[in-house]
Amino acid sequence: MDVSRINILLSICLCAAALVAPWVLSTYYLYLLNLVLINIILALGLNLLTGNSGQISLCHSSFMALGAYTYTLLNNELHWPMLVCAVFACAMAAIAGVCVGYPARRLSGIYLALATLAFLSLTQILIEEFPDLTGGIRGLKVEKGSFIGISLGNESLLFYLVASACAFCLYVTINIMRFPIGRALDAIRTSPHAAQALGIPVARVKLLAFTLSATYAGLAGVLFAMIVGFIDPIEFGVSASLRYITFIVVGGMGSISGSVIGAIVLTGLPEALRSIKEYSDLVYASILLLSLVFMPNGLVGLFKARNAKKIIRAET
Amino acid sequence: MTITIALQLLISGLSVGSIYAMVALALVIPFKASSILNFAQGEIVAVGAYTALVLSAFGLPYWLVLPGTILFGFLVGLVIERTIIRRIMSAPEFTLVIATFAIGLIIKSAIRLYWQDNLFTLDNPLPFKSFKLAGVVFNPQYLWVIFCTTLLVLVLAWFFKFSAVGKAMRAVSQSQEAARLMGVKVERVLMTSWGISAAIGALGGVLLAPIIGINPEIGHLVLKALVAAVIGGFTSLPGAFIGGLLLGLIETYSGAFFGSTLKNVMPFVLLVLFLLIRPYGLFGKAPLVRI
Repeated sequence: MDVSRINILLSICLCAAALVAPWVLSTYYLYLLNLVLINIILALGLNLLTGNSGQISLCHSSFMALGAYTYTLLNNELHWPMLVCAVFACAMAAIAGVCVGYPARRLSGIYLALATLAFLSLTQILIEEFPDLTGGIRGLKVEKGSFIGISLGNESLLFYLVASACAFCLYVTINIMRFPIGRALDAIRTSPHAAQALGIPVARVKLLAFTLSATYAGLAGVLFAMIVGFIDPIEFGVSASLRYITFIVVGGMGSISGSVIGAIVLTGLPEALRSIKEYSDLVYASILLLSLVFMPNGLVGLFKARNAKKIIRAET
Repeated sequence: MTITIALQLLISGLSVGSIYAMVALALVIPFKASSILNFAQGEIVAVGAYTALVLSAFGLPYWLVLPGTILFGFLVGLVIERTIIRRIMSAPEFTLVIATFAIGLIIKSAIRLYWQDNLFTLDNPLPFKSFKLAGVVFNPQYLWVIFCTTLLVLVLAWFFKFSAVGKAMRAVSQSQEAARLMGVKVERVLMTSWGISAAIGALGGVLLAPIIGINPEIGHLVLKALVAAVIGGFTSLPGAFIGGLLLGLIETYSGAFFGSTLKNVMPFVLLVLFLLIRPYGLFGKAPLVRI
């Protein structure tokens, strides 16, 4: 059986599993699955930016925060329909992506890391400084909106929404990587100068990568607000950004399956270690550090290396 | 706005700026030698503060706590360089940034596990109380910080100009290959530069502890130090010093005139402006890269 047929079979199986999931799983596991799917969306976006086009972003949690807060405010204050709120929130995150990406075209390495860190701190400060609007450090409760007449308190509807959003993002990302733009992203990472010489508009592609990535994060933020029902600035701090980076480092940089695997493993892990909850930051950071030092290509890289060895052994 | 208030703000601006300058110097030294920016520097400040806390809990006097903490900071720097940084020295910049961040987070969460979120204070090390001179209140703590930073800058200037290790460090930062050919032990020099930087960070922690208290979030200071280093230019030691003082003054004065929101936002606005207009700071040089 060739690869494409396996892929089709796999996606059909996954769709079927997703359809029955809300009827089979308990509330807690459904919630966990939702979180996994949201993290996959986020990791896909981040990997597009960091893994493929090679730009550091320490402010993905702020893009997520922007999405979540915009959605919540539009929903709570203006009571707009859910979809409109979501679209506006994603647009907001995209605009923020442009704002960060525009100066980022000229920066790289530590300077980019600093600029994104500055953006993260700015959003944190602004959220905390305007408590009338954002609830400040105490956070904000998200009212349940409704979608096609059904309240979003309905668990299965919520799950179907998250799952279809995730599937859509996966589909878009796979296609981006097949299109010239995806190749351009990879080219920019390997050598910006060579890419420029080949006629790739490096600055524009970098900006596009930032915008796209921020939109993914915004979408993840919207879904996060819907699922969790409560948002506060601590949820979107620096350690959250590092957690998302851990997803793609552990999974595998620049690889779609890497984002998916990383998000699944690292969302599940802290839940498995719930009895020692206070160690979670320590565990995350240690995993990040160890995999940076000993496993620079992530889990996907390990798998590929093993396969390559197998092929070599088969040939000799 | 009277002269007195302006002077008062000048004093507090300079003392805050001195702390920024000190941590910024700690950032610049290993960056010059190995072009690695240590995002964990803030947590090393925290390590310094907590070491001082532990040492003074043993009942040691301040003049023993201070060198003890600096020594411990030096050792921490050596260990970090030897165990982690050296393994990933040639990795892409992304790895280095994230790895130092992860080190910081590990230190911070370890501290939080042991001491929780409690706020500790260290006794005022100086025998005299605040005094008033021509209407301006002088807090000896602040003067002590300013004095230590000035002393540190002088010592560093001497160190890099005249001492053998300092000269070797400058050689390594110019060209590792050439330095190696001249018989400089590059690895040892890099390790020393990390040690010195961590020692300065720890000193910052000791000085800061009596002023703002000790809690795990003390490491947030590194953000300000980073801004200071960017203002001064990452490759320049005098730049880091002046950048720190400037940032302290700008922050204090803007806080006094326009309120705390602007005071909090100001450093990051400055950072973005500098990155946009002059990414290599006031005194830094743009690196030439061979393609």
